[in-house]
Amino acid sequence: MEIPVEVMRIAEEIKTMKLRGAGKIARAAAKALMISALEYNGPNDVNSFITYMNRIKKILLNTRPTAVSLPNAVLYVTRDLGRIPGSFEDAKRTVVERAREFIKYSLEAKKKIGVIGAKRILDGETILTHCNSSVAIEILKTAFLEGKKIRVYATETRPLFQGHLTAKQLLEIGIPVTLIPDAAVRLVMKNVDKVIVGADTVAANGAVVNKIGTSQIALSAHEARVRVFVAAETFKFSPATVIGELVVIEERSPIEVVGEDFLKNYPSIDVRNPSFDVTPPEYIDAIITERGLIPPQASILILREVFGWTIEDYIVEKLSEV
Amino acid sequence: METMIGYDTIRSSTETGIIALNVLKSILPQCKSIKQLENLLVSYVRKTISSRPTSAMMINVFRKTLSTFLDLKDVGEVERVKSALGKVIEEELKNAYESLNRAALIASKRIVDGDVVMTNAYSITILKTLEYAKGDGKDFRIIVAESRPGDDGHVTAKLLSKAGFKVTLIIDSAIRYFMKYATKVFVGAEAIASNGAAVSKLGTSVMALSASEARVRVFVVAGTYKLYLDTVFGELVDIPEAKPKAILSRETWMNIGEQLEVYAPLLDVTPPEYIDAIITERGLVAPQAIPLLIKEVYGEWPPRIRGVEELLQEIGGGSGDSR
Repeated sequence: MEIPVEVMRIAEEIKTMKLRGAGKIARAAAKALMISALEYNGPNDVNSFITYMNRIKKILLNTRPTAVSLPNAVLYVTRDLGRIPGSFEDAKRTVVERAREFIKYSLEAKKKIGVIGAKRILDGETILTHCNSSVAIEILKTAFLEGKKIRVYATETRPLFQGHLTAKQLLEIGIPVTLIPDAAVRLVMKNVDKVIVGADTVAANGAVVNKIGTSQIALSAHEARVRVFVAAETFKFSPATVIGELVVIEERSPIEVVGEDFLKNYPSIDVRNPSFDVTPPEYIDAIITERGLIPPQASILILREVFGWTIEDYIVEKLSEV
Repeated sequence: METMIGYDTIRSSTETGIIALNVLKSILPQCKSIKQLENLLVSYVRKTISSRPTSAMMINVFRKTLSTFLDLKDVGEVERVKSALGKVIEEELKNAYESLNRAALIASKRIVDGDVVMTNAYSITILKTLEYAKGDGKDFRIIVAESRPGDDGHVTAKLLSKAGFKVTLIIDSAIRYFMKYATKVFVGAEAIASNGAAVSKLGTSVMALSASEARVRVFVVAGTYKLYLDTVFGELVDIPEAKPKAILSRETWMNIGEQLEVYAPLLDVTPPEYIDAIITERGLVAPQAIPLLIKEVYGEWPPRIRGVEELLQEIGGGSGDSR
């Protein structure tokens, strides 16, 4: 059974970062699974369907290693596949329903985080944000539409300059933006009231994996006694970290940093391009989720509440390996 | 002229000072009278300092040049004054080279086999330091932050790679990420303030903060010609900015350039508490001991110095913006 073209396109777009942002990636993966189920035209038996869906799961999971929203979405959608006995039709329907549920939930989560987060922003405040986080922007937008006069420092966010996109989106809402080089974060921190960033993955101890540069922003904020808020839907929490798994930090091509000519002319320069870094919980004041605001150290609560079943699965799977 | 010594060309702070002094030296012979000399000095010093107001080296050398002129202009005839000024400049240039080399030599001793040295920007003092360490047969790696705006770090990485060093280039946002692999930080300075704070390329203070968090030692290497004496009397260091276009892509500029505010400072200030030592040609001192160093170099503390602007006024340059 062929993999639908649309599904391969989504996988490719996630890989090349044409499609980016942890929430968008997660919704795209759910959509890809839904399309796969709907377009399946192999033999009408459960096992063939499961084999086919497992192949697609693998393709999606291999696109980008760091953002946990992707495996969480995939796990959510395919959780009952092969677990609950039923007909082929049941299995197919479950995948489609769960995918729809996930997409709806994640869009609502963003709105809820916007409402909760906006309460933390006061009139006249200056907020610093990094990269291009749709949840962080949702908070800024909600606060602004509530009539709070805010202004934002957006870091340009090397190597791919996602900060330019953030600046554009905020200006469209009407929020005044100052774009700064990433190296200026400590210098401007004395003029900042709050830092609001997104997350790619939240680990069991409350450490936040986010776009490279986040951790030195949080460090600079901590030094200047500026509060740091991380906006993250619960599907960005990583159940695997509960059983000790490390979050893999994706390292992308050096071409994003220096271009082809540089690499050709200076082959012995080792150009490193990690995409993410880890901000320790002690530099984070709160994580804002759609279920409420928590101190980062309480991340385990979210993981137990939302992913109890997954954690059990991981434990069974990993212990059986031993 | 401005493009040669301003901030828009990648040149180290010392290199810039050397260029500015050489240009002044080369145009001195054109003056046929004391009056012409006076006009030239006033306009050149004003223009140069306003295009790079943070360069302590230029301020210090110009101070000396202007004082010499004031001492001689009433007694001397033009040829004698010109030759005296030429000598002052020559001597200061020679001093700068010697200070730089000696500071670098001393600093290089702090590098040991197996070190991973993190640095940023483009500093000939730091390049010299690394060169001496390598010349001593020490085996170490260098991590260079690209140092926007300007990407001076790319230039440094290329030069080091050509010279056979093992070099890793990273983006500025990755400084804290890579700090756990670094064993020492070496940075240059545009100016050293009287409290031991270092004015250096933007991002240096983030590097020093991250180093302090990771218990990695931070060394600032700079000849004493970088001591910013005016700060003894409370003068603040103004941070110059790059033009918005320096960090905006054409596309962004076309799309939102008009509404978007851009703040692209070129330098930042690293507080003394994140600096383990400042290394000058006179040796290694704690940043908090800078007043002592000023006393050593200028013979007394507080140093008896006159502001460049004050000297310009006395020469007869009217009022201006520069100090």
